[in-house]
This record gives sequence, structure tokens and C-alpha cells, in this order.
Amino acid sequence: MAKTIMIVDDSASLRQVVGISLRSAGYDVLEGSDGADALKKLTGQKVHLIISDVNMPNMDGISLVKELKKLPAYKFTPIVMLTTESADGKKAEGQAAGAKAWMLKPFNPPQLLAVVQKLVLP
Amino acid sequence: MTAQAAENPPMSTITTAPNDLAAPRAALFLHRWQSTSFALVAGVAALLSGHGAAPMIVAPAIVAIGVALDRSRQVRDLRDRAADAAFVASADQLGQDVLPVWAAHIENSRHQMESAVAALTQRFAGIVDRLDQTLRASGHGDDIGLASAFAHSKDELGAVLDSLKDAMASNTAMNSEVQSLSRFVAELQQMAAEVADIAQQTNLLAINAAIEAAHAGEGGRGFAVLAQEVRKLSALSGATGQRMADKVGVIGEAIRVAREAAQVSAKREAASARASEGAITGVLERFRGVTEAMEASTEALKQQSAGIQVEIVEALVQLQFQDRVSQRMTHVRHNIERLPDLLAESRRRFDASGALAPVDAKVLLDELEGSYAMADERATHADSASREAPAAPADSLEEVTFF
Repeated sequence: MAKTIMIVDDSASLRQVVGISLRSAGYDVLEGSDGADALKKLTGQKVHLIISDVNMPNMDGISLVKELKKLPAYKFTPIVMLTTESADGKKAEGQAAGAKAWMLKPFNPPQLLAVVQKLVLP
Repeated sequence: MTAQAAENPPMSTITTAPNDLAAPRAALFLHRWQSTSFALVAGVAALLSGHGAAPMIVAPAIVAIGVALDRSRQVRDLRDRAADAAFVASADQLGQDVLPVWAAHIENSRHQMESAVAALTQRFAGIVDRLDQTLRASGHGDDIGLASAFAHSKDELGAVLDSLKDAMASNTAMNSEVQSLSRFVAELQQMAAEVADIAQQTNLLAINAAIEAAHAGEGGRGFAVLAQEVRKLSALSGATGQRMADKVGVIGEAIRVAREAAQVSAKREAASARASEGAITGVLERFRGVTEAMEASTEALKQQSAGIQVEIVEALVQLQFQDRVSQRMTHVRHNIERLPDLLAESRRRFDASGALAPVDAKVLLDELEGSYAMADERATHADSASREAPAAPADSLEEVTFF
């Protein structure tokens, strides 16, 4: 059965580019338009990995990671931050919150797939 | 002496003159210069009319009053000149520091859009060429739906590029609006300089009036001429003050237009993103379907298919420019939207006190800098602050950090 990956980003074009890359590698893709929307859509089903932007309206990516760590169903789900945010301070915040990797945009699809394959849950 | 005194306008005429010539707000603006110099002029005029022998007796007293008034005027002038200088400096900062940063961001975004559209055009052309070659070579394109995919995709990619170019045009329009703001700021600076100049001349004339007052007995005529000059200058600076006040309103309007242009630009960008969303997904997925079918075909077709996959990957990288440009424009738009608040605050303080209140451009710059997320945004800011050409967009792919 195909593994499921959620992409959280307020940019529709970015979600679409990530979606195309992941679907072409055989993953199922869930989409969230910001942290709050992602939490609303995650209703207990198994998600093997979450890719999230950092700067988003309503709930930012770092807050989303903190919220996910409180939920038993998603506590151990690996999270990759995919962002234009390059400041070291923000990166450290992401690490402290519990993200597994920090990847800068623009991303290269094969590189994203390599990161996904390395971290995705069995 | 009496005939000369009659030529001097009575006190009430002098003090209300600016109200006849300029709007009440300008009169308030000028009040600080009038209060000291006209009191001096009026006092001397009163002495010159009516009391022939008085100048001989009260001349030392006039000098004493003149010196006291002169001192208090100097204190006020110093304070007012400091306010003028602060205002001119703030207009300077707005024109020299903030607008170039906005313009650099818009220019940089335009550049990113342009190179992305050029790269996408090239990629799309590459994909179409490969499909075309494959179609000719294989001779059985229609078996795998290649011909119809080819025709359909060409139209859809054309529509995507059109909508991207549309977004670029509105970005250019926004840039010219920001450029026109610098013109208004320059005019404002010019007027502030005029007011400062007039204030200085008024000051010199007032000093001369004090000296004339000391020799009132013999210099009544010269004094009358000076009093006339002071009136003219006051009227002139009153009109300039009004023009400055009006100009602040015009700048507010220009900002509103720039803000609307920014909103239109944002809407077009969103529309362009929506338009390309469906089209690009459709095209790329159709290509994938086609290439999968091709893989099942001969070895030569397999190689073409691999080439097309590379082109698609590159197109996916290029398409992310929309996200970057839209972030940058959002930061600039929020910053532009803050300016009317700062101008209104300056206007409110001017209306309340009659003193020119500086517009704090540094607040704007700091807020803008605080909103940055991307390394190339920070580079643009640093470069435009040091007045160099905008940095080339950072299009190299970055490393991944694992925690």
C-alpha cells in the first residue's frame, strides 16, 4: 500500500510542485494550507511523513511541529521543514521543536525524494 | 515723523495679514516667526506715531526690550530650526533609504519572474521538441496518444506563459508608482528648504528691525521698508507652508495609488498562480503518462523519455519562483501599507503644534528588514542600502540540514 505524505504550505503552486514530485514517486499526498488547516485535516489516519513550510498565516510551521509533538498519533511522525527561511535562529527553533530536517526552497525534486526516502516511516 | 508713522500699517493690519493671504493652518505654521518680530515692529510703530519726544527718552528701554525679545526669539528659532532640520532629514531618509529598498525588491522580483519565465519557456520548448522528435522517429506516436498530447500541451503552456507575463507587467506598473513617490519626496524636500531659507531671511530682517528701532529717531522710513519686507516674506513662507501641508496630502494619495497597484499586482499573481495550477498539473501529468507509455516502447524512446523527465524536473524547480516572488512582494506590500499611518501621524502633530514633525523612515526600514525570510531578500536590502545594483537572485539549490 502506498505511503502517505502530507505537504503543508500556504502557496498553492508550491504544494502542487511538491505533490507532482511525490505522486510521481508513488506516494499518496495530503495537503494543508497552513498549520491550523493541517491539524484540522489530520484526524488520526496514518501519515508516514510531514513536509511543512515555516512562515504561514494562522499557524506557522514551528508551532505546527510543537502541536504535533503533543498528539499521540503524530508524536513520532518525521517532519521536514521546507522553507525559504534561511536564518540560523529559525533553524535552531525548528530543531528544538522536534523537526527532523531543514530544507531550503527552491528545492530539487530528486533531492526532496532522497530526503523523503531517508526519513519516511516504514 | 507723524507723516512717516502714518505710512506704517497699524498693528491689527500687520498681525492679520497672513490670514488674508494664506490659509489659517499656514498662519499657525508661521505664528512662531510672527510673534516675536511683529511684536517688536508694532511696539516701535506705536512709539513712532503720537509721541514726538518719546524716542529720545525711551530709546534705551526699546533696546532693552529688543534684546530680551531677541533672546527669546533666538531660543524659539533654534528649536524651530531643529524641527525643520529633523523634517528635512526625515524626508531625505524616506527618499534616499526607504524608496530604493522598495524599488530594489520590486526590480529583483521582476528580474526573478523574467528569468523564470525565460527558463520555463526554454524547458517547455525542450519538452515539446523532444516529444516532436520522438513522434517523428517512432512513427507510431498516435498509438500512445502523443500527437494529441503534443497539440494540447502546447496551447496550455502558452496560456501559462501569458499569465506569467501579465503578472510581470503589473509588477512593472507598481515599480513606476514607487518611482513617482521619490519625485514627491524631492518636491517636499525642496519646499522644506524654501521654508528654512525664508525663516532665515525673516530672522535677519528682524535683527535689522531691532537695530533700526535703536535708532528710531532718525530711521523711521528705513524701518517702515523693513516692516513691509517682513510682511512679504511671512506671506511667502505662509504660502509655502500651505503647499507643504498640501503635498503631504498628495503623498498620502500617491501611497494609496501605489498600494492599490500592489494589490492589483498581488491579485494578478494569485490569478496567475491559479491559472498555471491547473494547466501545469495537466500538462506535466499528461507528459508523465506519455513518457510511461514510451518506456514500454523501444530503447530509443526510453532515452527520450529520460530526457523529458530531466526537463520536467527542471521545470518543477523553476516553477517555485512564484512562491519566492509572492513572499517578497507580500513583505514590501505590508511595508508600503504602513507609510500612510506614519504620514498621518506627522500631519496630526503638525496640525496640533504647527511644528514640522519628522516621518520616521527608520521604523519602516526596520519593520521591512524584520519581515525577511530569504537570504536574497536580505542581500537586496543590504545592496540597495549601500546603493549598489540589486544582487542576482539566489537560484542555486541549497543543502539539506538533518537534525
